[in-house]
Amino acid sequence: MTQPFLSIRKLRKAFGAFTAVHDVTLDIPRGEFLTFLGPSGSGKSTTLYAIAGFQDPSSGNVLLEGKSLLAVPSHKRNIGMVFQRYTLFPHLSVAENVAFPLRVRRRPEAEVKRKVADMLGLVRLESFAERLPGALSGGQQQRVALARALAYDPPILLMDEPLSALDKKLREEIQAEIRRIHRETGVTILYVTHDQEEALHLSDRIALFRDGRIEQTGTGEDLYLRPATDFVAGFIGNSNFLAAEHLETKDGASTIRLADGSLISGINANGAFSSGQKTRLMIRPEAFRLERGPTSAELAVEIVDVAFYGERRRIVARTAAGQEIDIRPTSAAMASQEATPRHRRVFFDPGAAFLFPA
Amino acid sequence: MSVETQQSVATLRMPGGLGGLLPALILIGLFFVVPVLALLLRSVTDPAPGFQNYAALLGDGTYARVFFNTFLVAAVVTSVTVLVAFPVAWMLAIMPPALASIVFGVIVLSMWTNLLTRTYAWMVLLQRTGVINRALMATGLIDQPLPLINNLTGVTIGMVYIMLPFMILPLVGTLRAIDPMTLRAAALCGASPFQAFRRILLPLSLPGVAAGGLMVFVMSLGYFVTPALLGGTSNMMLAEMIAQMIQSLLNWGLGSAAAFILLVVTMALYALQLRLVGVRRATGGV
Repeated sequence: MTQPFLSIRKLRKAFGAFTAVHDVTLDIPRGEFLTFLGPSGSGKSTTLYAIAGFQDPSSGNVLLEGKSLLAVPSHKRNIGMVFQRYTLFPHLSVAENVAFPLRVRRRPEAEVKRKVADMLGLVRLESFAERLPGALSGGQQQRVALARALAYDPPILLMDEPLSALDKKLREEIQAEIRRIHRETGVTILYVTHDQEEALHLSDRIALFRDGRIEQTGTGEDLYLRPATDFVAGFIGNSNFLAAEHLETKDGASTIRLADGSLISGINANGAFSSGQKTRLMIRPEAFRLERGPTSAELAVEIVDVAFYGERRRIVARTAAGQEIDIRPTSAAMASQEATPRHRRVFFDPGAAFLFPA
Repeated sequence: MSVETQQSVATLRMPGGLGGLLPALILIGLFFVVPVLALLLRSVTDPAPGFQNYAALLGDGTYARVFFNTFLVAAVVTSVTVLVAFPVAWMLAIMPPALASIVFGVIVLSMWTNLLTRTYAWMVLLQRTGVINRALMATGLIDQPLPLINNLTGVTIGMVYIMLPFMILPLVGTLRAIDPMTLRAAALCGASPFQAFRRILLPLSLPGVAAGGLMVFVMSLGYFVTPALLGGTSNMMLAEMIAQMIQSLLNWGLGSAAAFILLVVTMALYALQLRLVGVRRATGGV
């Protein structure tokens, strides 16, 4: 068995009676872009801080190429990090900020010069070398922070919500920058965010945190299309949850009865259910169709509201059981349906619906 | 803040224009400007018109030693105060606010305690048979009592104690403005705790050190009580010399000249600080 590049083993961190991280185990191969995604307080930053050495875990271990990092103080871990707030040194120029990690390592002047030029080129800030950080915009400062964190070729780059202080347009710009830099340098990146879109855009894999545990680890597609739990389904993308009674499951395909009495079969079952068990059926808003397909299940609804959102429309509908659901057909699919009847049927592929315990 | 609000504040402050300031101006003139001018006048007229008082002060070896000693004490006191105040200020800056306000309270309380009381307390502690010497001899660390009083050591200890709050307060302000994450970032960049201190924390705290340091230095230059009680005859400071000239020797001319030189030096230092760190920081942001 090959040794994982970075390995988090049974990590646990308690602050007094409160346990921030329960039991996190994760292997990260070299060069991967892995995102810790989760709501605030889910333990993702605490896990990152344990890797950075800012917090000692209560138990568990962090291994880099088989060697434990825990006994190594922060300044000897040789890890790069970009923080939420811009933590540039305000009294040093952009070039000296990037040079800082090399200066404390007492690298020769020629090497420092060359490396600073390389790094400023990488983040496209060559012409700002002599400015002080205070004279830069937020996005520029964060790019300098990125250059500083990469200047000493760290094997791992940690990023703690680096874009949360920036506005939307700037965020997208720097996301593209981060992807390019990951491609060009091949550095292993651990990225923390609470923004699911950011996680989906950037990462090779996502570890979804909830209450100090990892709920599911996988690619963005795994989490979106094959959520392991209703929490994952609810956190990634938009979801409708309909109350349903489980009747039977055969070969991973379940048959259920909805509150209006209709039977639907061929649903993905997440876990084992007993007959008659109360469950929740998850359907993505964009999985609904307005036209019947070859394998469609159907649902009788009353249309409450239709709004135009550019590429999609958003329909708020009410089921026979009185539950409001969210339906997002493409605007093109809707065009022929302008004269929508108030009462109608909507359709979905049972293969795109998931069953979770209530 | 909008320009409009600032204007209305300005109008509120001076309801009658400059006329409203007149009583204050008269008060300052009468009690501050006139005495200083009288002092200057006396220094060049007493006992006879001319600059002989200044010539005597600046030309004489004894007086020169007093000047030198005054600057020496002020410099030593300032340096030691900075060294002691820095860790205290750093601790205060990173402490939980509730605890920090208690420690602040203790520091301010010491400022409110009578100066003479505090200096006499040090005399009791520092003398040959004082608590400190007896404790050290009882533990066998020393055989002979250490000379802790009536010398530079005594003056330094006593004055540093009095000056500490004036150093700590501006320094805490500067240190609090430094984002602690900056230091974490420095650590991850590979800086050892000492490198992070020398390359990041120290340069960033220099404005506070400069403001506090100059305040302490200037206050020390003219200090009288503590050097008089804890110092020795061989290291007399300027304020003591002025007191002696006027009280014992009744030489008003010479005393005035010495006082005026002290005033000029103090003002020059203050001007230098204004130049270096700006008005807001020099006055503590008031």
